[in-house]
Amino acid sequence: MRVMSLLRPVTVTEVPENHFVVVHPLDDVLEEKVNSSGLGAMPMTTSVKLSLMALRGYLILMMLLVLYHVLDLAGALGPHAQ
Amino acid sequence: MIPDRVLTVSTAGAEATLPPVRGRVVRSRWLYSVLTFLTVFGPGLIVMEADNDAGAVSTYVQAGAQYGTRLLWILLILLPVTYFIQEMVVRLGIATGKGHAAMIYQRFGRWWGMFSLVDLQLVNFLTLVTEFAAISLALSHMNIAPRLGVPLAAVVLITMVLSGGYRRWECVTVFLCLLDLGWIAIALKVRPSFGEVFHSTFVPGVPQGGVTASLTFLVIAIVGTTIAPWQLFFQQSCIADKRLRFSDVKWARLDTFLGAVFTIVVAGCMMLAGNAAKMHGLGFSDPAQMANDLHIFSGEFVRSAILLLMINAAVLGTTAISLSSSWAYGEVKGWPHSLEMPIRKAPGFYLTYVICVGLAAAIVLIPGAPLQLIILGVQVLAGIMLPSAIIFLQLLLNDKEVLGPQFVNRPWNNWVNWTIIIVLFILSLILAAQVAAPNLFPAS
Repeated sequence: MRVMSLLRPVTVTEVPENHFVVVHPLDDVLEEKVNSSGLGAMPMTTSVKLSLMALRGYLILMMLLVLYHVLDLAGALGPHAQ
Repeated sequence: MIPDRVLTVSTAGAEATLPPVRGRVVRSRWLYSVLTFLTVFGPGLIVMEADNDAGAVSTYVQAGAQYGTRLLWILLILLPVTYFIQEMVVRLGIATGKGHAAMIYQRFGRWWGMFSLVDLQLVNFLTLVTEFAAISLALSHMNIAPRLGVPLAAVVLITMVLSGGYRRWECVTVFLCLLDLGWIAIALKVRPSFGEVFHSTFVPGVPQGGVTASLTFLVIAIVGTTIAPWQLFFQQSCIADKRLRFSDVKWARLDTFLGAVFTIVVAGCMMLAGNAAKMHGLGFSDPAQMANDLHIFSGEFVRSAILLLMINAAVLGTTAISLSSSWAYGEVKGWPHSLEMPIRKAPGFYLTYVICVGLAAAIVLIPGAPLQLIILGVQVLAGIMLPSAIIFLQLLLNDKEVLGPQFVNRPWNNWVNWTIIIVLFILSLILAAQVAAPNLFPAS
């Protein structure tokens, strides 16, 4: 009986003294989270903005290089490309 | 500021009244802790083990087949790296209750939000193609026609998500993760030298032949497959969907740590399976072929287990990666996006999942794709994109406006994370140098 009560959750309204209630997160009352909706964009210094722009360029370049490498390995660029 | 909890449902001491909640009343604090951990357990294990997907199987097995046990130490280094990265995701997810894509969109603006989303969808979709390609390959080695098996796998994957709530999906997926314990049985069956395994794990070294182009490419692929961008998006969305609470942080961390250990152990066992092929002087083309070749030396169990676990790895990877795409797309588009919602309430979320799975499966049925090349290419692409994804994570974890003092990164977190980012960038730059100037490294 005790094992069954552990396996099957029941509706709990009172917690007896020195007892604990285990509640699955999906069964729990909705928790109030950090309200970030009104914060808008993160304030960034010019150097951070420039760094992120450089990162963007780097990513585009790297993706093109990988594409080239994969095509090269596949032999799609001709026999001399190897 | 982090608000106080609206309600504390787990109390000790004096009798307390609560609004009605479904739960289990226990007397022992120890049992309470164990059961609470089990209710939180899931996202950490899944995000880690799903990363041991078909591409990872291929990469780790190839590493073993080419270099024996000599690259095991890399996995040991990647264990804390992967944990530290995902632990940040845990904090961000629990504090905000929002997915990663939503946070990038909100805090870095529309352009970066879209850029991250497009990057994620591109790599995710290419990865999904490789998952189904691996399913097709393994099925063909088991004499099952891919034209039947691949659509069937797609239907099973879609049913897993459409047939009922988060909890059922999580139970099935955790079970699939635990099936990967079979890799340990394979590793034991192929009888590696335990002294050599121990030495290679704890004493870093370069394999015979020195640093070559293929070794560099493979190391970057290992890093790329062990820590993937989709994991950041997946775990945060998964935590948000499971509605983990502030009080769950320590259990979610434990879940993530155990997941990381489990995944690295399984990855090591995959390398040992590849090592068996090297020990018997077998050539390597793909894991399925290797399983067939090993059959003569290690028996039917090893052959069947490798083929079945390849399929399992691909199924795990597909469900997690497709969900990360669906969650991210739903977050950015503002659609309802939860496994707890019925199809009629979140049609866009489920449709994205179905399209990802269905289209990737369909592409694989078009003959002629070089599987090994696509897998390696995807892993490398993921490895290149990872540093930038972690930079956004790092910036978000230093965002005191959002996280407050409780969840924001500590100075030591920042030191560790910037070190990881720098190392990942160096690996990226090595790859760039290798691609731009192929003769820079000796070919073999």
